[in-house]
Amino acid sequence: MVQKLKEIYAYRDMIDGLVRRELRGRYKGSVLGFLWTYINPLIQVVIYSAVFSVVFKVRIEKFYLYLIIGMMPWTFFTTSVQGGAVCIRAQSEMIKKIYFPREVIPIAHVTSAFINMLFSFIIVFLAVLVSGFGMRLEAMIYLPLIMLEEYLFALGIAFIVSAVTVYFRDMEQIIGLLMMAWIYATPIMYTIDYVPEKYRFLSLLNPMTSIVEIYHQILYYRMIPAAGYLVRAGISVIIVFIAGVFVFEKLNRNFAEEM
Amino acid sequence: MENNIVTSDRDVVIDVINVKKKFKSYQDKASTFKERFIRPSRGKHEDVMVLKGISFQVRRGEALGIIGKNGCGKSTTLKLLTRILYPNEGEIRIKGRVSSLIELGAGFHPDMTGRENIYINASIFGITRKEIDERLNDIIRFSELEDFIDNPVRTYSSGMYMRLAFAVAINVNADVLLIDEILAVGDTAFQKKCFEKLEDIKEKGTTIVIVSHSMDQMYRICDRMIWIEDGFIEEEGIPKVVGEEYLAAMEGKRLERKQEEKRQREEGGKTDSEEQDGYLKKLPTFCWEGATQNGNGKIRLTDGYVLDAEGKKTSCISMRKKFEVVYHYESDLIGIKLAFVISFTKDNGIYCFGAGSISNSDRENVFLAERNGTVKVSFKENNLQDGIYFIDIGIHGVDGTLFHYIYGALKIEVKGDKENEQVGIVNMPRRWESKGQIISQEY
Repeated sequence: MVQKLKEIYAYRDMIDGLVRRELRGRYKGSVLGFLWTYINPLIQVVIYSAVFSVVFKVRIEKFYLYLIIGMMPWTFFTTSVQGGAVCIRAQSEMIKKIYFPREVIPIAHVTSAFINMLFSFIIVFLAVLVSGFGMRLEAMIYLPLIMLEEYLFALGIAFIVSAVTVYFRDMEQIIGLLMMAWIYATPIMYTIDYVPEKYRFLSLLNPMTSIVEIYHQILYYRMIPAAGYLVRAGISVIIVFIAGVFVFEKLNRNFAEEM
Repeated sequence: MENNIVTSDRDVVIDVINVKKKFKSYQDKASTFKERFIRPSRGKHEDVMVLKGISFQVRRGEALGIIGKNGCGKSTTLKLLTRILYPNEGEIRIKGRVSSLIELGAGFHPDMTGRENIYINASIFGITRKEIDERLNDIIRFSELEDFIDNPVRTYSSGMYMRLAFAVAINVNADVLLIDEILAVGDTAFQKKCFEKLEDIKEKGTTIVIVSHSMDQMYRICDRMIWIEDGFIEEEGIPKVVGEEYLAAMEGKRLERKQEEKRQREEGGKTDSEEQDGYLKKLPTFCWEGATQNGNGKIRLTDGYVLDAEGKKTSCISMRKKFEVVYHYESDLIGIKLAFVISFTKDNGIYCFGAGSISNSDRENVFLAERNGTVKVSFKENNLQDGIYFIDIGIHGVDGTLFHYIYGALKIEVKGDKENEQVGIVNMPRRWESKGQIISQEY
């Protein structure tokens, strides 16, 4: 394990190169280029706030702010998982030809999505400014922590889906469906109070509920994250990350043969 | 785990322990949901054992060559060493950083410059920017691309591309360097430089494993050679010896195949006229089943056997004893001058001895063909060591016309009651002497 970490550290320049290439390559050739990083989630926010505050008449104060705060971490997560599903297959030529620790690929993919999220937080902070809600410093110090937790959670899942998709290509489509459902199972377009009391425990079983709620607590409710949420998020992150590492370790040996 | 004394040797850099590798051979690979569940039969596969249990070690600064025919598992072995593939059974231990010249330039980006690609290419060997900075000049100088290094790689010729890739891979200070069939890069001058560099890094302690079909390259670099055949190590040892044996075996197989093809052709298209011409049809019944034959068939070997010292037919002869080989033939041509030939080959393909009945001193003393003839060749002493041998027998005209030649016509076993320590193919009677004391061995 220590050896693996050392090895991955030795390959940091490769990760760096892959991340740069992905960030540069994603919108290469498009007119607006890197701006799409902002435009995509913003348009989603506009659509959802139109539908939910005008049509469904959801009564959440400064709904756009609530939406933006939840949407950015969600976009990071869904990009990590959906792109993660195909990231190994996309590098099949390299995997068949040369050795490098295969973990490098999902790490690079999730990291590039993470960097995108960091950029998109400029919008979050702008929205906070515009709303006049202000920030609470004691709460803000938890922001890097929850970002790190979400990073590890996304990486753990990316490890699993990237490795499984090599053996079972339908995984990619299944993931697409799953993510479509998952966004509605997470309090992004509604607050957790909307969930009927007797189903709330179900919502709390979803690790993304805890993670997104912590973002909300820090930036929207301006409070120090509730202990229950922190513990639930922490435990699920640890479980998922360790499971991801093990699954990947088990499956990565036959990548070259399966592609 | 460390119960093996040799593996605790600090100098062993590569330790391959009883490695087995199988591949799935799909008739039609199912990898989507529908295929897997709706038509489960489509995913059926057979396991093909490529490596059936091989073990070897390579020490620091040693160069090992791996040879074998296509599909024997040598490239698989190299891929296992690079860790692109993993063994199904057994274990491979490698100490230190591995660099490979297997897929030169994998991961090159055509739109980036040669200089940028040096960094990228090095990064896939796990080398950081800082380490490369120190060696950048060496790499560029070695590649001889000084004037082009800031041009995009897509503008390079294939030779330039290879030179750059080779320069990176060889300059990364690896502990182990794996090479697959790539020393054909560049012009002769560059190849020479590559060889010198290889010899240089070998001297500095880099362990090298090479797979190649070029024996000359292998002989030059390798200290040891392994011949893989059908997933096993067939032979291991001095490059020249193993290499020659391998080539001899391959040549033998090629001849066999040719004979087989010829025989099938003849069997397929035989006509009465051909039979009257005396064409060779079936292998004569006296022959060993693996024998092959050649010749125009105007004179045909009809029987052949070995007689032991007592004059009895046998397939087993003793060391140091006399024996005879008898040929029977029938001939359509009567009275022409004939030359009888015989040779011995060991079962591992080593050609041991061959002779013909024509003597250089008296060319008039030859046998003349009869309608049904018999020739006997007597050997005063059998100097072959114990083992399995094949005897070729044949009849030529003195002008060189080949009437009938049977490769591996007779299979014999040589048995020796070895009184002394001796190995090899032949038994050389000898006497040891020291200060008047004498040890005589069959002398």
